[in-house]
Amino acid sequence: MTRPGLRRVEQIMGTPISLDLADDLPAERSHELAEDVFGWLREVDARFSTYREDSEVRRFDRGELLLSEASADLRLVLERCADLWGSTDGFFDAYATGGLDPSGYVKGWAAQVASDRLLAAGAGNHCLNAGGDVRVRGLSSSGRPWRVGVRHPWDPHATCLVVTGTDLAVATSGVYERGHHVRDPRRGAPARGLRSVTVVGPDLGVADAYATAAVAMGVAGIGWLDRLPGYRHAVITEDGRCLHSAHLPLGE
Amino acid sequence: MRRALLAITGLAASTSVLVVLKGSPGATQVAQDLPRTPTPVAPGSADPAPAEGEVAAEASAAATTGPRPSRSPSRAPSARPSSGSGSDGGGQTRKPSAPRTTTKPPAQPTTRTVTGPVVENEYGNVQVQIVVSGSRIVDVRALELPQETAQSDQRSEQVNGRYSGSGGQVVERQSADVDTVSGATATSTSYKQSLQAAIDRAN
Repeated sequence: MTRPGLRRVEQIMGTPISLDLADDLPAERSHELAEDVFGWLREVDARFSTYREDSEVRRFDRGELLLSEASADLRLVLERCADLWGSTDGFFDAYATGGLDPSGYVKGWAAQVASDRLLAAGAGNHCLNAGGDVRVRGLSSSGRPWRVGVRHPWDPHATCLVVTGTDLAVATSGVYERGHHVRDPRRGAPARGLRSVTVVGPDLGVADAYATAAVAMGVAGIGWLDRLPGYRHAVITEDGRCLHSAHLPLGE
Repeated sequence: MRRALLAITGLAASTSVLVVLKGSPGATQVAQDLPRTPTPVAPGSADPAPAEGEVAAEASAAATTGPRPSRSPSRAPSARPSSGSGSDGGGQTRKPSAPRTTTKPPAQPTTRTVTGPVVENEYGNVQVQIVVSGSRIVDVRALELPQETAQSDQRSEQVNGRYSGSGGQVVERQSADVDTVSGATATSTSYKQSLQAAIDRAN
């Protein structure tokens, strides 16, 4: 028996992106919607990649493109990155590497926009996972709320928590991925203390930026996460303890 | 004095022997041919001369022995191209970064095996090899994968040993039924990098 809906994975922005469309739509319509999603993500990659010299981000960074000439999307991303720099007390920094690199926000934002568009197009039951940043809506094809596992920080093949919901953005940032690659922008040294941070809330771009910022803060990030309005979290410390918000929607 | 004279004479003699050998009919032709010969064997290889050494090293792999007999007899001294290409040992040192390019027997359209670099991650090394037929990837093999389960078992035990029963919540491992997973995996990233590099080398 085949499940209704459509599942597709593509490699975009240097990461696998998977779409699970659970709505029982005609096959043609599902494919059309999936093509819209992946077409948008490919377009974002072309325009925002820091690896492509001809991308809008690189041209803006080199001064070849003025802010007034930039697309509405780029101006929005720059504005949001500036807001996040403020709300994370400078720990989310799109200029941390010297040049402009908004990719810490762009991936989550692009997936969030794709999910919003699916909802507007009448596909209110879906799960979009962009390299570990997840946006779910409605119910899965089994008819229950989506179950999003959080990757176990010491075992890539296991999960350590399950978050469930019908309208959630779930982003996880950790030092397990490329070693201690998250830097504390103030000390310039790799961040220590937190092994992984998962942030759950309404917006995936913001959740991803908050998770990255909290890892960079180290242990102090736990208190900071606790004071965030509208976003919940689960933190796993370097010494293997798990701390999470009281109201995190945990599954069995 | 006599000895010095003898040495100089000897040097002169051996040099002239070398010159005579080099100048002998046919030899120049071979020398000119050599750098070009690997090209038909490894089409698309950006660095054919060092790759030749790799072919020899990897000749034990089933798919690699084919092309040699199919070449004309002029290629018989297969050991010479690497030293004759003038790299003077340079080819040896460049070997690890050189694309490992081989072909299968000429029965099929050019089938090549291209190996990606070893990509390290926290759990060990990952290396991926692809088999390319024409412009299509027909097989992907993981030459090396980390034994991450052994290591992470060990880590989890350490973590559990330190915190079992105490305050705070110990990280637990679940194999729960989930629809998707938040947080990327190191191994898949390394696999991707090695695979991508192999594909780049094949082009």
